[in-house]
Amino acid sequence: MNKESPIDTTGLIVSMSPHIRGATTVERMMRTFLLCLLPAAVVGIYLFGMRALWIMALSVVTAVAFESLIEHLTHRPLTYRDCHAALIGLLLALILPPSVPWWIPVVGATVAIILGKMVFGGLGTYPFNPVLVAWVVLKLSWPERMSLFFAPHTTDELLTPLMAVKEDPALFYSYGMLPLFLGQKPGPIGTVCGLAILIGAIFILTKGIIRWHIPLSFLFGIALFSAILRYINPDIYPPVIFHLIAGGALFGAFFLAPEPVTSPVTPMGMLLFGFLAGVTTMIIRMWGGYPDGTFYAILIMNAATPLFNKLKPRPYGRRQHA
Amino acid sequence: MGLFLKGIKLPGKLPTFDAVEAPLPKRVILPLRQYIGEPARPVVSRGDRVKVGQLIGAAEDSTSLPLHATIAGKVVGIEEHLDHRGALLPSVVIEADGADTWIEPPGEKDIISLSPPEIITRIQGAGVVLKGMLPIPLAFDLLPPDQPKTHLALTGRRVVRRIDTLLIAAIDPEPSLLVNRYLAGSPNEELPGGIAALRSVTGAERTVFVVDKETSPSSQLTEIVAGDEEEVTMISLDGHRFPVGLPIPLIKAALGREVPLPYGHPRDVGVAVYDTDTVLSVGKSIQGIPPVETLITVGGGAFAKRGVVKIRIGTQISTLIESLGGFTGEPAKLITGGPMMGTAQYDLSVPITKDIHGVFALKEDEIQLVGDYRECINCGLCVKVCPVNLLPGVLSLYCARDRFEVAEREGLFACIECGCCDYVCPSRRPLVHLFRHAKHQLLET
Repeated sequence: MNKESPIDTTGLIVSMSPHIRGATTVERMMRTFLLCLLPAAVVGIYLFGMRALWIMALSVVTAVAFESLIEHLTHRPLTYRDCHAALIGLLLALILPPSVPWWIPVVGATVAIILGKMVFGGLGTYPFNPVLVAWVVLKLSWPERMSLFFAPHTTDELLTPLMAVKEDPALFYSYGMLPLFLGQKPGPIGTVCGLAILIGAIFILTKGIIRWHIPLSFLFGIALFSAILRYINPDIYPPVIFHLIAGGALFGAFFLAPEPVTSPVTPMGMLLFGFLAGVTTMIIRMWGGYPDGTFYAILIMNAATPLFNKLKPRPYGRRQHA
Repeated sequence: MGLFLKGIKLPGKLPTFDAVEAPLPKRVILPLRQYIGEPARPVVSRGDRVKVGQLIGAAEDSTSLPLHATIAGKVVGIEEHLDHRGALLPSVVIEADGADTWIEPPGEKDIISLSPPEIITRIQGAGVVLKGMLPIPLAFDLLPPDQPKTHLALTGRRVVRRIDTLLIAAIDPEPSLLVNRYLAGSPNEELPGGIAALRSVTGAERTVFVVDKETSPSSQLTEIVAGDEEEVTMISLDGHRFPVGLPIPLIKAALGREVPLPYGHPRDVGVAVYDTDTVLSVGKSIQGIPPVETLITVGGGAFAKRGVVKIRIGTQISTLIESLGGFTGEPAKLITGGPMMGTAQYDLSVPITKDIHGVFALKEDEIQLVGDYRECINCGLCVKVCPVNLLPGVLSLYCARDRFEVAEREGLFACIECGCCDYVCPSRRPLVHLFRHAKHQLLET
């Protein structure tokens, strides 16, 4: 049909529109996510020494290795390049206490990859945040090892602020807010320094990898709940800012709750998801059996994500029917 | 200043130079159907000599349009030819004789005295096409429907609304397309006539120009807006925020009205929306001049020369490429329309028809192939950008698993196929492809 044309047209690609696409890929998203965790990881190593680095390395390597092994055994393409396994490994290491023996991150990363991710079919299909699944398994299996925390720069055992307040509510007076925010407290490796988390959070929000709805409504839920308690009895309930920075709330708000696969996608769904996760966190902290409820709260809300997704935006043009 | 927060920001700079006039083609291919509808009936035969503007195809009914010769010369055949939508259509092939002789212009008419039916007759007679995803005869779009739309009739009242606002889009359907913004920045003698005709036909008492905030409107446009004999206003929008230039998001952004979807028409919310290019065609058609030339955007990294090109309808794409100095690089994709919503071509012999916005030759580094796409990771970026508030990721899962009825319930047919979700998807899922597939499956059963 095209014999007369002097221009060679062979090799033209025909496919459906759109013909141009944005630069964001899953690989890029995960790499940026890893980068946003860097401040928290570096501060963790600074505060808890080389054992923190050792835990992170073990966790990341185990996660990547097990993912590749399973993909090899099930004859699937290897996906270590998308950095998702590495991200799971690093996130898990950052919420482990610095005191854990070497096999805790190994078992944890294995559970995260196998039970959390691969049994459901890999990235995109799992219903619960794999990091939190692994954390819960570790917490239930070795509760005393998972609640042994070190004071910064030492290996002296010390209770985290939330554990201390759980035992004696009035103890919150003894904590200065600025040291708490800067990380001068015992706690999981990556969650102690609020400043480092916020630096990563600003980066991850401006890069558009997560949306502001979940983190902000999560923190708002905690703030509102603790403000009400504080208003009722300021003597036994700590101030709002204490609840925001003393435990894993900041880390959970920016790096665990908005995990794409297991969080809702609609604006209303995300707002409610975050808010209820925040409220649940506070309920567990106040009346539950654990000092910090952040991770449990997020896991519980993960289960309800399909319901939150039913809060759809109003489709364009529907209002006009009346 | 209108506001539009959905969609995506796309590049697309207005060229500072004037429109390039492509040289007269030696040969044109004029498909007898350049829109969605019935083809015209050829009224010339092989060997006939024709002049520019001479009728060569007659309209059969209101869904078909007459066709005019776009160069002077000899009809060398009426044969089947491929058009840019991939259809084989009977087409009139004319070979130029070199002399660009026009038929006698029908003489200047006092267009103020034309009645609305007369204007519609002239628009129909000139064969003006309303460009868009589904190009249709403009006169057909202007006529009020005989029957109220069925989904609207369900509410029990007849909702063929009177049009109160004429929206003239001086921004382009895609930021990469330049024609409307180019026209907004240069004076045109047909503009006042076209506006007057459309106001008369639609009965709109208000005219709203929508201009791009980065384009400075021509003095002619500002004078029309400033001349306060009737209500004319101007709204500026960020034209780089695709798909604000498409009619349905545009009406929302400029007037805050929402066209009922699916199957809605701007008329249902009292709006008539046409772009500057169409208004100028109307201006010409009421003087009895059929569109023989069209303004298209030429772009993409493989073209040596880019910008707005004035070209005779029926010129083959290969001729266009030659007249612009050929390619500088190897094109990977050749597209009619814009890069977001256009159609990929495999044969460069297809002619430029009345419904084509532009021609883009994209190099390999400019396109992204879908290839191995991933499972949806539920990131929600598509929800953020969808201009009609769907959940594209969820819809795509239904479509990929052949659950088309569920997808339909979830609003599949409200999708305007702008491609924003596809553009942002980090899993590189071919969302528009899946939606079109599902729509076809549903329409066939």
